[in-house]
Amino acid sequence: MLYELRNLKKTYDGRTVLDLEQLCLDRGKITSLMGPNGAGKTTLLEIMAFLSGPSSGEVWFEQGKVDFTTEKLIHLRRKVVLVEQQSILFTTRVWKNVAFPLRIRGVPRARQAGMVEELLGLVGMGAFRDARAHKLSGGETQRVAIARGLACFPEVILLDEPTANVDVENQIAIERIIQEINQKKGISVIFTTHNMIQASRLADQTVFLYEGRVARSIYENIFSGYIETDRNGCKQCILQYGLRLDVDSQKSGPVRISIDPGAVKIRRDQSNGSAENTFKGKLIQLTDEQSRVRALVDIGIPLSVLVPKAVFGNLDLGMGAEVWLTCPVESIEVF
Amino acid sequence: MDFLIDSFLSAVLLIGSLDPGLLQIIGVSLKVSCTSTLIASLLGVPGGFIIAFGRFPMKRLLITILNTLLALPTVVVGLFVYAFISRRGLFGVFDLLYTQKAMIIGQVILIIPIVATFTISAVSRIDDRYRKTALTVGANLLQTAWMIVREARFGIAAAIIAAFGRVIAEVGISMMLGGNVRGFTRTMTTAMALEYDKGQFVLGVALGIALLGVSFGVNLFFNYFQGKVRV
Repeated sequence: MLYELRNLKKTYDGRTVLDLEQLCLDRGKITSLMGPNGAGKTTLLEIMAFLSGPSSGEVWFEQGKVDFTTEKLIHLRRKVVLVEQQSILFTTRVWKNVAFPLRIRGVPRARQAGMVEELLGLVGMGAFRDARAHKLSGGETQRVAIARGLACFPEVILLDEPTANVDVENQIAIERIIQEINQKKGISVIFTTHNMIQASRLADQTVFLYEGRVARSIYENIFSGYIETDRNGCKQCILQYGLRLDVDSQKSGPVRISIDPGAVKIRRDQSNGSAENTFKGKLIQLTDEQSRVRALVDIGIPLSVLVPKAVFGNLDLGMGAEVWLTCPVESIEVF
Repeated sequence: MDFLIDSFLSAVLLIGSLDPGLLQIIGVSLKVSCTSTLIASLLGVPGGFIIAFGRFPMKRLLITILNTLLALPTVVVGLFVYAFISRRGLFGVFDLLYTQKAMIIGQVILIIPIVATFTISAVSRIDDRYRKTALTVGANLLQTAWMIVREARFGIAAAIIAAFGRVIAEVGISMMLGGNVRGFTRTMTTAMALEYDKGQFVLGVALGIALLGVSFGVNLFFNYFQGKVRV
């Protein structure tokens, strides 16, 4: 076990931003943390990087309880490195940024140059060795920040939305780096993302956070709405653009709902379409995901649907095809 | 008006001839001002850093007091230090009055608030991500502090330039604590005041030009330094 968090709470000005009963993360794995903005992902990364302590609860790292009050914390910090979402480089040359962790660890100067070359090569930034760090683009900055993080020889690297705000070319490069450092160097990687496809492609395990808690449901198809009771006493959630969904909930008023993409039924026609929560839509995106196909269907709102490949093949659907979706009441969770 | 032009031309000739008396005055000014700026920087920069990042009671009051001390008149500092170092004062036994050391003490007191206040302002504006980055790559507290100071170096350099400008141009402390002793504590500003009293404007104007020249040179040096390291 790499991390174990027990009854962990973090509050800012009386507001609880993180409330985790128990969370265990394995060593040597790639773990993705998902959740909407404000779910507590960055706060959790900062705690796991030992940059800030929890308001209450325990953090266990490598079977040892972490004491956030002692100066020994620096020894733990030297095992874990955090690369922030918008990384900042010191206002100097690229190579000096990568050499900084080496210098503070007392690596002899003669060895530093070779190590810097190797690390910059690993992130594909070898040609930028002497460039001014603040002249780099967002993607290049992120790659140099990862190289600087790797110069710490960490056991764990924490990446906060590493591919946010970078172009496709840099996204591919960063994803390749994540896989390489995990497979070749055995470094445990924990990264946050909003990209479900990226998470399923890279991560061995995924943790979904919602409002500071580990969410039971899959963080996908989350919408804001308003629950009201119709004439027959049935609860309906009214989403944006007037879309109405029958729901099974005791709540009323403003809510958020999530629809399990694996539980949504997709058909070519409206046969059996008398079921509740059936909508006509247009297929706007298809993604291959190992044994399943992810279809994005526009039903007034973009709804993601996961279909087994065999089922999808029988449907014979192409881009732009008209389809019918049915969202069973059980597939809808109300927050 | 003619006398000003004549004085100016004579002053240029005096500077051009590298008059030994003039050079000695410039030398004393530079020595005292550079020493006091150095000491104030060594105390004021770390002090400003600690105030900016430290958590202690009455921090805001301390910053307000430092801001108030920016307007400290030189004669007040002169009187204050005089009370301590005059023969009857607490430190009278050290015989500091009318020495360069006394001038340096007074000037350090004058400019520490400048260096500290500008440093607080410079390091407070540094992005907190620098601190977090330094910590997460394994820096200890001292190394982290050094990285923040390094990132704030342009603001801190401005603090030192402002402090130097204040002491090289001040007259009250130099006159009251130095005594304007020829060849020993006579600085450019005290000499100018003396020449004015005597009605000898040529040396006064020459010293004025030299003072501006020295300030220009120091700023040129810092500008060159800042331009060279800015990336």
